[in-house]
Amino acid sequence: MNLVSFALGNLRRRPARTALTLSAIALGIAAVVALTSIAWGFEASWQKANDARGTDLIVTRMASQNAMPSPFAAAPVREQLARYPHVQEVAGLLSEMLSVGEDNPPIFVFGWAYGSYLWEHLKLLDGRWPADRDEPAVLLGTLAAELLHKGVGDRIELEGRSFEVVGTFQSTALVENGAVLMTLDQAQAVTDKPGKVNVLNLKLDGQATEADARFVKEQVRKALPGYAAITSGELVSRNAVVRIAKAMSHVTILIAGLVGALIVFNTMLMSINERTREIGVLQALGWRRTTIMQLVICESLVLALAGGLVGIAVGVLIASGLEQAELMRGKIAAIYSVPFFLSVLGLSVVLGVGGGLYPAHRAARLSPAQALRHE
Amino acid sequence: MTRASAGGTALAAEPILGLRNVSLHFDDGRTKALDGVDFAVDEGEFVAIAGPSGSGKSSLLNLIGALDVPSAGEIFFRGAAYSGNADLAAFRGRHIGFVFQSFHLIPTLTALENVMLPALGRSWSAAAQRRRAESLLADMGLRDRLHSSPTTLSGGERQRVAIARALINEPSLILADEPTGSLDSANAEQVLEFLVGLRAEKGLTVVMVTHDEGISARADRVIRMRDGRIERAGQPA
Repeated sequence: MNLVSFALGNLRRRPARTALTLSAIALGIAAVVALTSIAWGFEASWQKANDARGTDLIVTRMASQNAMPSPFAAAPVREQLARYPHVQEVAGLLSEMLSVGEDNPPIFVFGWAYGSYLWEHLKLLDGRWPADRDEPAVLLGTLAAELLHKGVGDRIELEGRSFEVVGTFQSTALVENGAVLMTLDQAQAVTDKPGKVNVLNLKLDGQATEADARFVKEQVRKALPGYAAITSGELVSRNAVVRIAKAMSHVTILIAGLVGALIVFNTMLMSINERTREIGVLQALGWRRTTIMQLVICESLVLALAGGLVGIAVGVLIASGLEQAELMRGKIAAIYSVPFFLSVLGLSVVLGVGGGLYPAHRAARLSPAQALRHE
Repeated sequence: MTRASAGGTALAAEPILGLRNVSLHFDDGRTKALDGVDFAVDEGEFVAIAGPSGSGKSSLLNLIGALDVPSAGEIFFRGAAYSGNADLAAFRGRHIGFVFQSFHLIPTLTALENVMLPALGRSWSAAAQRRRAESLLADMGLRDRLHSSPTTLSGGERQRVAIARALINEPSLILADEPTGSLDSANAEQVLEFLVGLRAEKGLTVVMVTHDEGISARADRVIRMRDGRIERAGQPA
């Protein structure tokens, strides 16, 4: 027998209360795990899509904070950018979330400059690439094909226009696998935004250094007022949706932490009150105040850690459910990591110790004689 | 300090326990649980503390057991004052074994674990604690009940577990508060035999609070309390 096994026995003594406390902690931790993994996943999905294309810098409107920046007329900016040293290619991108038929969830539609480097990272699984920039054709990512139940040779309707599915592809980025892809010209036509792009992707040549990239950013800042050249990471971190999602996860962590600590606090205080005489007995048997504090902290830690472990499992299940939800599928992949789980367990430890500290102190300060007289 | 003779027991020169003008007050002095108590107990003595309810017996036992601190006066253990000792828990753990009327066993632990409880957190190895607990329970005739829950034990068995628990840290002073009060006469006699036997076999000092005149009669000395004072001290009638 040791302190931990004694603490476990004490928790088993009130199984319903222990289970309820553990469930409440687990729910809070599950909310933290689900929201945080989704928020990070949302950020990472977009960054991965940008990174997969091999883009070095992205030029966008400086003030735009949307998930996909506001469209702007591409031609004058593109001409300016193409003149900067080490800029190998400037490729326009237009994106919109559109419904494909009435029964399907909205889906990302990407328009990429025809023949640009943006297409190079995709793996064509079936069919072919568009024959030219004006062909009313689309390719479907693997997940989009599955969601839409379409394949090569089928047709899909977008904003009242009919497109032939000429190919399916696979990307390393989830967002692209869940998207419909067409040429930039077709995307501009179907969204009624002729000549406009959300971003211009810059690919620098092989000799370009980080200093060259910084030079291009500086040139854009000086020569193109209202525009900014940024990395994909900067684009994603500016994204208002990402920031809101992360802020929500932070608030959830705070609320879950406070509520969890309060629940542990309440449970341990009730337990201490019920066991006042027993604590008096332990004191009479020679237990030091520190040992009694250790016992109470140990009980609250076991509760919080067990709640944390169950919460992680439930949180992963919730996040997986959200990933598979029709509206979310193909847009977000929750991100987990060992450090993340360790941090969540760390949060559990903090709320266990935080919630158990005062009850432990109170138990340790009991007068043995008064505790033994307690009814 | 007054000291009565200890009927037939050879006494050491230095009393194991001494109380000098000890008082215990509550409610800012309005309630006097003990008032100027003064006595000594010798090594190996069996002292019964008797008296009506509210006379201060349990308060006196709490003070002797370092569960409470006196409002005035001093308590000595082998000549050293301990009532102002900062680490009374360590003192209790090292020198005193408690036996309570209602046993106070932990229901989630087995008999063996209950006996090991006072040794938890001490420097003994787990194996040494276990061996000693098993040996004590065997001495109490509970060899086959080591892993039983207290809830499945009879009252007499529970009190024997409690006595084994009181002995695990090898104390020199056993304080028993009505240890037979919750037992039938057969079990009460058995428990009393164990406690009395501790003196003979281990040379322990036993101070026992009791209402039972039969038990008082078997003590070396009886201290009769009334209204927080010693009414009479001496050999049992």
